[in-house]
Amino acid sequence: MTQLRITGGAIHDPANGIDGDVRDICIDGGRIVASLPADAPVLKADGMVIMAGGIDIHAHVAATSVSLARRLLPEEHTLDPTSAPALLDGTIPRTGTGGTVPSTFTTGYRYAGLGYTTVFDAAVAPASARQTHAEFDDTPIIDGGFYALLGNDEYLHRQIAANELGRAKDYVAWILKSTGGYAIKAVNPGGIELWKRNVREVKTLDDPVGVANVTPRKILEVLADAAIALGLPHPVHIHCNNLGVAGNVATTLESMRALEGRRAHFTHLQFHSYGGERGKSWSSAARQVAEYVNGHPEVTGDVGQVMFGDATTLTADAAVEYLLHTSTGRKWVNADIELETGCGIVPYTYKDKAAVAALQWVVGLELFLLSADPWRMVLSTDHPNGGSFMSYPDLIRLLMDRAYRDEKLKSVNQKMLAGSALADGIAREYSLNEIAIITRAGPARQLGLKQKGHLGVGADADITIYSRDADYAKMFSTPRYVLKGGTLVIEEGQLRRAPAGKRIFVQPGYDQALLRDLGKYFESYSSIQLANYPVTGLRDTPVATGAS
Amino acid sequence: MSGSARVEEHATCLGCGCTCDDIAVVIEGGRITDARNACALGLRWFGDGSLPGAVIGARSAAIEDALGEIATVLRSARAPLVYLAPDLTSEAQRAAIAVADQLRAFVDSATSSTSAEGILAAQRRGRATASLGEIRNRADVIVFWAVDPTLGYPRFQSRYAPNPVGVHVPNGRRDRTVIAVDVGAQRGPDDADLRIQMTPQDEQAFLASLRASLAGYTVGDPPIVARVNELAGRLTRAKYAVVVTDAELASEVPSTRADALIAITQSLNATTRGSLCSLRAGGNRNGADTTLTWQTGFPMAVDFSRGVPRYTPDDATLARLGRGAFDAALVVGASASLPATVAAALKGVRTIVIGPRASESGLDATIRIDTGVAGIHESGMAFRTDEVPLPLRALLPTPRDTASLLKALGAAIAASRGAA
Repeated sequence: MTQLRITGGAIHDPANGIDGDVRDICIDGGRIVASLPADAPVLKADGMVIMAGGIDIHAHVAATSVSLARRLLPEEHTLDPTSAPALLDGTIPRTGTGGTVPSTFTTGYRYAGLGYTTVFDAAVAPASARQTHAEFDDTPIIDGGFYALLGNDEYLHRQIAANELGRAKDYVAWILKSTGGYAIKAVNPGGIELWKRNVREVKTLDDPVGVANVTPRKILEVLADAAIALGLPHPVHIHCNNLGVAGNVATTLESMRALEGRRAHFTHLQFHSYGGERGKSWSSAARQVAEYVNGHPEVTGDVGQVMFGDATTLTADAAVEYLLHTSTGRKWVNADIELETGCGIVPYTYKDKAAVAALQWVVGLELFLLSADPWRMVLSTDHPNGGSFMSYPDLIRLLMDRAYRDEKLKSVNQKMLAGSALADGIAREYSLNEIAIITRAGPARQLGLKQKGHLGVGADADITIYSRDADYAKMFSTPRYVLKGGTLVIEEGQLRRAPAGKRIFVQPGYDQALLRDLGKYFESYSSIQLANYPVTGLRDTPVATGAS
Repeated sequence: MSGSARVEEHATCLGCGCTCDDIAVVIEGGRITDARNACALGLRWFGDGSLPGAVIGARSAAIEDALGEIATVLRSARAPLVYLAPDLTSEAQRAAIAVADQLRAFVDSATSSTSAEGILAAQRRGRATASLGEIRNRADVIVFWAVDPTLGYPRFQSRYAPNPVGVHVPNGRRDRTVIAVDVGAQRGPDDADLRIQMTPQDEQAFLASLRASLAGYTVGDPPIVARVNELAGRLTRAKYAVVVTDAELASEVPSTRADALIAITQSLNATTRGSLCSLRAGGNRNGADTTLTWQTGFPMAVDFSRGVPRYTPDDATLARLGRGAFDAALVVGASASLPATVAAALKGVRTIVIGPRASESGLDATIRIDTGVAGIHESGMAFRTDEVPLPLRALLPTPRDTASLLKALGAAIAASRGAA
């Protein structure tokens, strides 16, 4: 591995308390080191801004659902073909297609082009995990991991029904170990299974899922406790019930209260922070959610900002997609998957002249601007649901530049904005350090990734160097240099090297007694042999867990 | 020579799209002597596992030299075709697509000749689908639309539906209603609970009437309407209805069928739950669609000639071969399983075959390199007809691994470019 000294740049490394100081960064063997020999090669970054590589805590980039969406969108891909980059490292460069759901190679190239070096796929059906690994293998540069969908799993529900909570925990560990996943995901807990039974609405957290003692509340508790008991680096990652529905803030706050005192991550909160009443009115309830999060240090979240333009809604929360299909008339995929989860896909366009889209845009920005602790409310668009990851630079500008934001606010549909905090005026502008927090340091901390998201000694040399620009969207969309594991992947704004990324996963332990009962269940109900379920041949070293 | 027999449990069969992964393969003396649990199709697919291991037609039998020669042929071609034949691991499919990308070739698979209509319809409308495990555990009404799975998908009924016991159908077959729709000679299964018959000429009108009926309208002549209403009633009263169709017949039936069955199964979800199950043949055909999609954004018929992927489903392999568009072809995989139309149309094109039994290929190929069969001699991943990925294990040694060979070919092409 090559050595490199980066000199002259202003370092924004909030994890180490550094806010714009000019100092050298030394790299050796893919890691950041304390010092280098005087004759080590130098990269001059005078006048530039240096941050750790970006970390996307919640995106959809490598999963069955993503491939189903790719297949659904040939028209998008036809409009955005990408030629092979001129690589200097001997890697065979690949063409691809973009749009809101790009092909794998294009996904890797484009994330790196934005200075992002680590991405988590937020929703993988465990039975299809081997496809996710293969897609990540074809997604260069970025380190990838994923969350395994467990909130609607028949076997888990059976353990809850039988009050076999120890076995439920072991099953969670087995799923993560078998799939090479990183964290537990709960999407609309219980609600996807209900959708498969043609029950389309979860009214309360205590609605029964088949039997009285399996409820969204219980599922949340069991999964949150499992993550804690297994010592997982990231807590349970929760997509609440009632996504996208007016008045859903009640469900969201009730879910948070249900887990009060337990570590939990609530994702794309923008989609869960609406006041008003179903079928009648909509309003922003971002302030209530932000206030709850502000007051509860055990809670973390990401925003799931909506950005105006084309998106593809793609979620395990399939019932929502049916509603979107019927309300928009646009094409629709539903896939029910192996007693584990579901999948729904509808292409969607957020129009600034549409009242609900404008409200969603405002709710997201309010969550950013009203959250007191940026470490606990980080950036996401739930790519590609709220918008593509390619819109992150524009989102950063909205957060850093009040004049730009207020100007934009004037141009959107005002119908549902009365009384919203943003309409009343929020002066806050994010600083460069706060941007570094919500795009790298915060996600790393939430994910328990000790070697990422910062520039201290021992960290992975994933580094992004920006030329300053008064237009922050421009600044963040075209990093001057990006290093991944010490390799200079972006040089003078051009993609020059595309090393393979690593896989980020855990291998928690479990009581082997589980396998007898699980074997019987597979024998009775599964279409896959138990022996064929686990993914084998995982490269790289797993991230340590408390129980391994 | 022979040691004692060994048994490879949980082997995955690519004999059809059912992709049963419960096969116990018995191996004696380096030959497969039994494939327990396999159906007749599966037994045929596994065979005895013997394979030639030749390199034919290259100036040198050394594999590096042969790859160099292939690289030169393909690099100097003006318009090469890379064709993904069946029986490839997805790893080999990915490597072959990479080669096509490098060569600015046209890449395609059997899908464009046999199953394009369903894919194109799903790209227009989307689709409501379920994995086979869901169908097994949930479906209480199953309509076999002009397909009898006992023929092309022999274990579908015993492994997935209607026969198995499932979580929501605890009495198995007794909890399910099976409806056979016969369209002329394309008949549903014999033991259906209800049989609806029509001529191929009537199918379109029937489908239109069924769509209307599900939307609450009456459309069509009285004799059709009566049968339509009977079927619509069964479907809407189902808890979870599944319509099974044979996607491999797409080129032989009117394209309206694929489109209408998607619309019908989607519309069922207004009041109950419903899905379409599209059956694909064996050899990991779905894998070709899936890997092409994730690498290029398109599931078939991808033209790299302008240095970016372009989707040309209306101008796919057969159409291009028909007008002599290719001056070289690289066929990867089991050339014996090519659609007959494609095999015939390849005549006269300078063809290279890399795959199992390439040396015995009926194609008029200049260079042939024998490799192994996915799931018999080569390990990796394959996709079931419902796009669920399953592992493949090498049960016997391969003459040479297809995916590794194709990666080496990619390196040889890159090297020849460097030298050029």
